[in-house]
Amino acid sequence: MTNAAPPVSQHTEGLREPKDQLIALTGLTIVVKPGTQIENGTILIRNHKIEAIGADVTVPAGAETIDLKGKTAYPGLIDGFTSTAVELSEAASAQGYWNNNIKSQLKVVDGLKAEEDVNSALRSQGVVARLVAPSTGVIRGVSAVIQTGETPVEEAILNPMVMMHGRLTVDRRGGSRDSYPNSPMGAVALARQAMYDAQWYQQVWKAYQENTKLAIPERNLALEALRPVVNGRMPLMLETQNELFAFRADLFAKEFGVKLMLLGSGNEYRRLDEIAQLKCPIVVPVSFPEAPNVSTPELASVVTLESLMHWDHAPENPGRLSKAGVTIMLTSNGLKDRKSFLKQLKLAVERGLNEDKALEALTVTPAAIYGVETELGTLEAGKLASFVVTDGKLFAKKTKIVETWTGGARHEFENKPSEEIAGVWSMKIDGPADSGTKELLLELKGDEKLAAKIRPADKTDAEAVITLKSVEDVSGILTGQFESKTLGSEGTTRLSLVINRAEPAQSLGTIVWPNGDLRRVELSPSTTEFMPKKETEKKEGEEKPEAEQEKKPDDEKKPEDEKPKEDAKPDGEKADEGKKDGDKKKDDDKPSIPSSYPVNYPLGEYGVESPLKPAAVTAFTNATIWTSGPEGIIPNGTLIIDQGKVLAVGANVKIPAGAVVVDLKGKNVTAGLIDCHSHIATDGGVNESAQAITAEVRVGDFIDCDDIDIYRQLAGGVTTSNILHGSANPIGGQNQVIKFRWGLNDSQMKFAQAPQGIKCALGENVKQSNWGERFSSRYPQTRMGVEQIVADEFEAAKSYAREWAQWNQSKKGLPPRRDLELDAIVEILEKKRWIHCHSYRQDEIIAFLRVLERNGVTIGSLQHILEGYKVAEVIKAHGATASCFSDWWAYKMEVVDSIPYDGAMMHQQGIIVSFNSDDAELARRLNQEAAKAVKYGGVSPEEALKFVTLNPAKQLRIDQYVGSLEPGKHADFIVWSGDPLSNFSRVEQSWIEGTKYFDLQTDAAMRKTSGDQRQALIQKILSGGTKMRGAGEDDGDPSAYWPRHDEFCHHSHDHDDHDHGGHSH
Amino acid sequence: MVRILSSLVLLAGFANSVYASDEIPGSQPKTPIAITHAVIHPVTSGVIEDATLVFDKGKITAVGKEVAIPPNAVVIDAKGQHLYPGMIEAHSQIGLTEVASLRPSHDFRETGEFNPNVSAHVAVNPDSELIPVTRLTGVLAALSAPSGPRIAGNGSLIVMDGWTYEDMTVSPSAVMVVNLPVSSPSDNKERKDAAKKELEELEEFIEKSRRYPELRKSDANWPYDIRLEAMQDFVNGKQPMLVEADTMQEIESAVAFSNKHKLKMILLGGSDAAMCADLLKKFNIPVILSSVHRLPAHRHDAYDAAYTLPARLKELGVTFCISGSAREETWNARNLPYHAATAVGFGLSQEDALASVTLWPAQILGVADRMGSLEVGKDATLFLSTGNPMETATQVSKAYILGKPVDLQSKQTRLYQKYQSKYEQLQGR
Repeated sequence: MTNAAPPVSQHTEGLREPKDQLIALTGLTIVVKPGTQIENGTILIRNHKIEAIGADVTVPAGAETIDLKGKTAYPGLIDGFTSTAVELSEAASAQGYWNNNIKSQLKVVDGLKAEEDVNSALRSQGVVARLVAPSTGVIRGVSAVIQTGETPVEEAILNPMVMMHGRLTVDRRGGSRDSYPNSPMGAVALARQAMYDAQWYQQVWKAYQENTKLAIPERNLALEALRPVVNGRMPLMLETQNELFAFRADLFAKEFGVKLMLLGSGNEYRRLDEIAQLKCPIVVPVSFPEAPNVSTPELASVVTLESLMHWDHAPENPGRLSKAGVTIMLTSNGLKDRKSFLKQLKLAVERGLNEDKALEALTVTPAAIYGVETELGTLEAGKLASFVVTDGKLFAKKTKIVETWTGGARHEFENKPSEEIAGVWSMKIDGPADSGTKELLLELKGDEKLAAKIRPADKTDAEAVITLKSVEDVSGILTGQFESKTLGSEGTTRLSLVINRAEPAQSLGTIVWPNGDLRRVELSPSTTEFMPKKETEKKEGEEKPEAEQEKKPDDEKKPEDEKPKEDAKPDGEKADEGKKDGDKKKDDDKPSIPSSYPVNYPLGEYGVESPLKPAAVTAFTNATIWTSGPEGIIPNGTLIIDQGKVLAVGANVKIPAGAVVVDLKGKNVTAGLIDCHSHIATDGGVNESAQAITAEVRVGDFIDCDDIDIYRQLAGGVTTSNILHGSANPIGGQNQVIKFRWGLNDSQMKFAQAPQGIKCALGENVKQSNWGERFSSRYPQTRMGVEQIVADEFEAAKSYAREWAQWNQSKKGLPPRRDLELDAIVEILEKKRWIHCHSYRQDEIIAFLRVLERNGVTIGSLQHILEGYKVAEVIKAHGATASCFSDWWAYKMEVVDSIPYDGAMMHQQGIIVSFNSDDAELARRLNQEAAKAVKYGGVSPEEALKFVTLNPAKQLRIDQYVGSLEPGKHADFIVWSGDPLSNFSRVEQSWIEGTKYFDLQTDAAMRKTSGDQRQALIQKILSGGTKMRGAGEDDGDPSAYWPRHDEFCHHSHDHDDHDHGGHSH
Repeated sequence: MVRILSSLVLLAGFANSVYASDEIPGSQPKTPIAITHAVIHPVTSGVIEDATLVFDKGKITAVGKEVAIPPNAVVIDAKGQHLYPGMIEAHSQIGLTEVASLRPSHDFRETGEFNPNVSAHVAVNPDSELIPVTRLTGVLAALSAPSGPRIAGNGSLIVMDGWTYEDMTVSPSAVMVVNLPVSSPSDNKERKDAAKKELEELEEFIEKSRRYPELRKSDANWPYDIRLEAMQDFVNGKQPMLVEADTMQEIESAVAFSNKHKLKMILLGGSDAAMCADLLKKFNIPVILSSVHRLPAHRHDAYDAAYTLPARLKELGVTFCISGSAREETWNARNLPYHAATAVGFGLSQEDALASVTLWPAQILGVADRMGSLEVGKDATLFLSTGNPMETATQVSKAYILGKPVDLQSKQTRLYQKYQSKYEQLQGR
């Protein structure tokens, strides 16, 4: 027999106990798979499998028959993602990767626990199986698919090896400052290195097997376990923190030819088309955000349009992904309460997810992708008897799950006894003492959780109502307790009622008064209303008696008379429990209103509705043009742009026929400003501070194109910015030059032609002078050591390069391991990567330059360089450039000799000098900074402006494209209301490659639109009686928690009562 | 043109003192000084072209076009130059800090929660290198204020020259610095409860201070309490409290607290002050707006929310002055005029911008009888410049504090000269 009970290897002790079962479920509407349905069908279950299914199944004699007429059976649902913390065994750990964030050798099945709480919650939602993935580390290990039944773990496993899991980030300060990685950038660098190591591991063992005379390579379980991943046989599922992480995951997977799956963030709708193009299956969460708390003006004043729109759009995310052709699965992951899974799925369906697609995403799709399609996914003979029985269409609002079957085991949820006994009962009770018999009314409510109240039959005021505590319905006996003071006996009285469900009138009970008196209770159904209407309504607005506090005031109540939710968090949790009965029904009946406004880029305030387009041929006339180029300052000049480039600039240039002419009389025009030192627009953590050398780390992995500072700096005339790693390390991470193409995605913001660079740093920050007492042992702790660690790293890189060169030539021996840290240093030596070095004191400047010179390297730029004026001749002779602060000093010991004449003096000694911001606020006024070169040291205005245009372009080696207005260069330019070096001037327009990304009129319009939309959405929340999240809770996008400044440069703010806007020096 | 002039003036300035030395505080001139042919910006009245200002023994004795110059006066021909009252940074830690990251150089935060008895002026280091640097842009006076919970101490109004702190102090107890434990709307319950408790303790301390003099009067043996002694002017509403508050909730809470305890209040910060304009006007609460160069507080705020705030407050009729302190740390208090300048770029008039860093801070901090404008009887704390001091390229060419000439050198100019010599040597080689 095919569906016999499974053979087991276990020895049987004593008598055998066959557990064979044969069950027929009849009268069912059977949804075999999405879109295919059988009416009046039968499912014949033998043991854990479906033996037969269909309309014409013959029920064998003797089979247990369950009549489910009117009910519908669906294939059991599969939760696309759950996770659990499983530790690596000591043995597996010992032979693992050097960094314990790489746990690829971990198999979740090895440490799986029953987790009946999770399983039972999911069963109640119709879920029969779930993916369970390990939950710690960067590369986390291999997931399994398990059933949600009550069977022992080993019997529940359907697929023990599904796929590898990971995420390209770490928790904010999850470890400590000395535990690598402590930044998202570090996490992705580590993951990348591990993947290269896995590739190398295969090669090195292959080489050894071909020639066993070679040295025996290391054994490494983690790299061994990554083998199927790098070979494209086992998929890798990466968790995403927001929509941008989807792109990051995609780039990561493509680098190694990995088959990628995504665990979605719920934000995918924000870059829908681009995400659809990834052609990658996504497990989509339905943990839609609660509405932002706007219940008071103060709370509403801090709520962003972004979070309002997110609340408004998020429930449409699954539907939109599905419509865009993305293969989706669905998950309860992220829900506070897994028992709301189906409710949230229904909401997703209501908000646009096609019902069949939803069912597919919960059955057929995960069954196929997770390799359990022979057991699950559809209702067919031979598959597991794992299905869900409902009283209607699965995703219809009022439908309830009647029962869930997992591998032949039945779990019932509907028609629980308590449901039968719900209603109002009349109790005739005796006592207390000799007070005689009185009639009490008892109201029973609830399905999963019982609630009971009593009141004397002759009293209808709210004060007379007593709530029963500890109400339980066990084995047909209903028990509870209540405070009986108002009934004439102070203390706790116990009640137990035996309800005869067939003949309710014959029910009986007993009561035990506080003094121990045991009396009899006569019980019969009553038709009296427990609380007459009028009284109930009156009660709504009143303070509830203490005993009733678990019942929250009705959510539909108008917010005007709602007090500020001071402690809404605990209240909110209670509200969920309190809403089990009447309120819940009201909530569910309420239609969910579609999103009000289209998605813009980035979502929320100041986002653009669609990507901005370059202007046609345009001539800007009559302006004072500061070209920063050979043409100098042209009074009354003309600038012509075409196809994103400068076509012509000058006093007398011919305007092409058909050109749009823009009269800029009275205005000034400059090239777009360039900030040579910034830390905005990255959510990678700015600093990977856990190692002294982190050359493998790349800021470019984490460009945050949605950072509002991009828009704010555009409004200050900045068009190009050098996003640098922080200053925690003598050799830090790789920088990324970006253009502020507001509205486009992270990759599109990168300045494609900009050469690669890397951050280095010297002095106090890298020797941990201001990190605190605990940080006194990492090498280096002195400027002597800083010089040496850099020198030593260059030597390491040179021998690494030699090793590779020899191997490439001979291909003999074991292949060398690729080291991403040393790769970056070799690129410096090969002049493919420019160093930008944070430096202050003259001694360290010279020492560092000498190390570079010994290695034949010319530096890209010296950053900060506040004592550069002391050694300008050395800087000049080296060929270094200098990017400094205009006037910062005295914030720490190494800058007490900083002077604002620094820039001018270096300039006068022939060094290319720029002024940078290193600060999100200062970057909005780089023109004012340039004016300080005029004040301190008498640089001419024309040259001073170059400190923020052409000179930083030269320092970043992008001056052939940007930095000045010359024919053929990018049409990156700014229109100013007046002299750009005047503190009274303001930016009116900012253009990048012929596209206008900022102007005052558009800004004014966007303020109006954003403001109107904010108000409308706040009203939508208030008027809809929507549940709001507690004060202090946010959207929960973890990428928002990472700093956007160099915190190791940040000197201590002893006057902590001031917000200095995150200076970083 | 202004810029070319400025560099010439600067070089001329260095020629006077090629040999760098520590700046020597000025001495009181024996005779009156008359500055003639200057463009005078009195602040309290309109600009006077080609005018004269006379001062003697530290006080201004005459201002105007038709002024009789005392026969014994030293005359300074300031043709083409502008004369302004010294600017006042309304919130700083001048003299109380030298190197921001070095604790030994800090004297602004006393330990403990209630320090009404400490006062900034006694810890102001007259030899701080930050002082000569600051006055080079025309910032000649500042409130130097302690910080910390909950009563930080007395903030003192000082001028930026003198041999001792006593020479420098104009008003030792200009404000009482109070940090109200206010929870923000987004705080969780725990934080809110903690703030509530802290606030109650502060209120108790205030009440205790009120009872103290009566107890001392009625009971001869009642112990002397140095803290409560120091609270008297404050609780009696004679000394204003300086309270930092930025969000709507913080501002509303601070005003409520001030009213409840009948205190005089100055608001510091004020990001959301425009949203609370009615409240601030109704209770006559002035704002030390800090700073213009600040990021918007919220993503939905306009990019220029902080830049336009002065103009909006002016329009709404709120009394305010501009401070740079939320942006500039004490080492860059010199950049105060550029905050005012940006406010002009975003809607404030030139006249109001000038007043917002001269007369208005003097009024708010209670020293307008002595400073903030060029009027007869006021201190001769003023400076001459090559142009509008709100423009960066402008140079301060001469300055007087309490009538005494100011040495316009600093550690920074001395280092500039020193290393110019280095390159001169290298070129000569």
